[in-house]
Amino acid sequence: MTGTGTLAKDFTIKELLATFVSRQVRDGERVAVGAGLHVPRAGILLAHLTRCPNVRLYVVMTFTNLTKEPRMEPFYTVYDYRPAKWAEGYIIHDDFQEDPRIVSDTFVVGGLQIDKFGNSNLIGVGKDYKHLDFRGPGAVGTLSMAHYVDRYYLFVQSHDKRILVDKCDFISTVGWGQGGADGRKKLGIPGSGPVYCMTPLCIMDFDETSKHMRLKSVHPGVTVQQVVDNTGFELIIPKDVPVTEGPTEEELRTLRERIDIEGMLRK
Amino acid sequence: MTAERKSLVLDEHAAADWIRDGMTLAIGGFINSSHPMALVRQIIRRGIKNLTVVGAASGGLDLDLLIAAGCVKKLVTTYMGGEHYCPVAPFFRIAAQKGELDIFECDEGMFYCSLRAAAQRLPSTPWKAGIGTSFPEINPEIKQYNDPVSGEPMLAIPAITPDLAIIYAAHSDAFGNVQHVGTGFGDRAMWRAAEKTIAQVERVIPNEEVRKNPLATSLVGVDAVVRAPYGSHPFAAPGYYIEDGEHIREYVDAGTAWAKKGDRGPIEAYLEKYILKPKTHEDYLETIGVRRLIALHEY
Repeated sequence: MTGTGTLAKDFTIKELLATFVSRQVRDGERVAVGAGLHVPRAGILLAHLTRCPNVRLYVVMTFTNLTKEPRMEPFYTVYDYRPAKWAEGYIIHDDFQEDPRIVSDTFVVGGLQIDKFGNSNLIGVGKDYKHLDFRGPGAVGTLSMAHYVDRYYLFVQSHDKRILVDKCDFISTVGWGQGGADGRKKLGIPGSGPVYCMTPLCIMDFDETSKHMRLKSVHPGVTVQQVVDNTGFELIIPKDVPVTEGPTEEELRTLRERIDIEGMLRK
Repeated sequence: MTAERKSLVLDEHAAADWIRDGMTLAIGGFINSSHPMALVRQIIRRGIKNLTVVGAASGGLDLDLLIAAGCVKKLVTTYMGGEHYCPVAPFFRIAAQKGELDIFECDEGMFYCSLRAAAQRLPSTPWKAGIGTSFPEINPEIKQYNDPVSGEPMLAIPAITPDLAIIYAAHSDAFGNVQHVGTGFGDRAMWRAAEKTIAQVERVIPNEEVRKNPLATSLVGVDAVVRAPYGSHPFAAPGYYIEDGEHIREYVDAGTAWAKKGDRGPIEAYLEKYILKPKTHEDYLETIGVRRLIALHEY
């Protein structure tokens, strides 16, 4: 979807990405807010405070609705107890295993590596698992969450060839597997998988037939060639590549005055 | 004559006597919150070795500290980092890269499958998420099989039974009725899976206080209770204090010196100052200092 209202002229790439995230949220669904990633967190809250008052937010082990909150007090982590003051209910963390669907309908997954079929890797980089070149933090809950949610989004904080690779050294979360529209079905995996991959340079989606990653839009000031030069696999480039739409004036005001009061997205 | 109900309260030394070399030990909490650090520091002081540590579902720097001190042989957790303090726990990263640490690679769903299988005395729990990933390949304890009913491929996640769970909670009475403040994260799953559980608490409360709100009792009957105010420091304790960011950064800096320069000097100094020199939890708190501790009281 696109914004309604006058588009803002002056915004950062992080604010543009937060706006893009916000437009993926549907009113009435359950949405997990990962506290650690500022951009997706701000985007989900932006959707909630503008178009989606009936979203059931999952924030640091609690469910809540924040539409009556004038401003978001900062919370940075998934263990921070301070948002408990907003809680309408708790989730005991091991309930997650009993019914992963109670937590969220959608999710954002990052990665040390993401491949052309949207598979991602948080385990480590290197050929030999016992002697990795770089050991990552581990999968956290991404594998099970991405398996059960309706759909999810890939997000990386830097667009480069080391991250966007032809083939992940290890797969911690399946996107489209070996590719193809039945790539998930063949493995018996429910959910409609990764929809977009968001980076500081562009938005990518997946070709309907091959499920190979495809350029969808470039951010203002970024060229298609710049994206190609920094991507480690052959990206499908359509004939027309639009510029990613930024926030409306109202969205930007909401972001700056009610959500990102510390200016993390402006740094 | 009527026999008296027995108090389960132990001091930190008596509780630490329950922890032995080679044990499978579960440690509660979540990333930078709610770890039984008074007991974790006792493990390091005593030089306990070869532990299989079942960390929290999302583990943290509590486990990294045990790795730094050479206590851990095998690690079961899904995440080893400190959120915005450090993306990957430093001693974990280097030990894993050198092949010095056995890792039970899993995600949160699989992690709780292991604990549930243990609680239910089952050899394994079936799980679907993970088909098509590297997990069955890099964790040979996880087996892929075809479901006998539908024929579809499944993963059998093996039971992991902790010999002992040590968890942190705000309150318990003397009889082991534990009441967390906040959700208690995955501590219930550890308690259900483990042979025995020690709860390290901020306050031992009267039994009458427990009876005012039995619904708040999160663990009904642990095996021992240890009172240690500020006992999750440097990590957060819901309802009591936030994490000590300055202290965590000091630890991370010591980790970075090791990870980037191979210099163990800073971590040796850290261990000496905060763990080996103070002999008790009270000594530790005096080392940290009352001003710092009070400054963490946000709730």
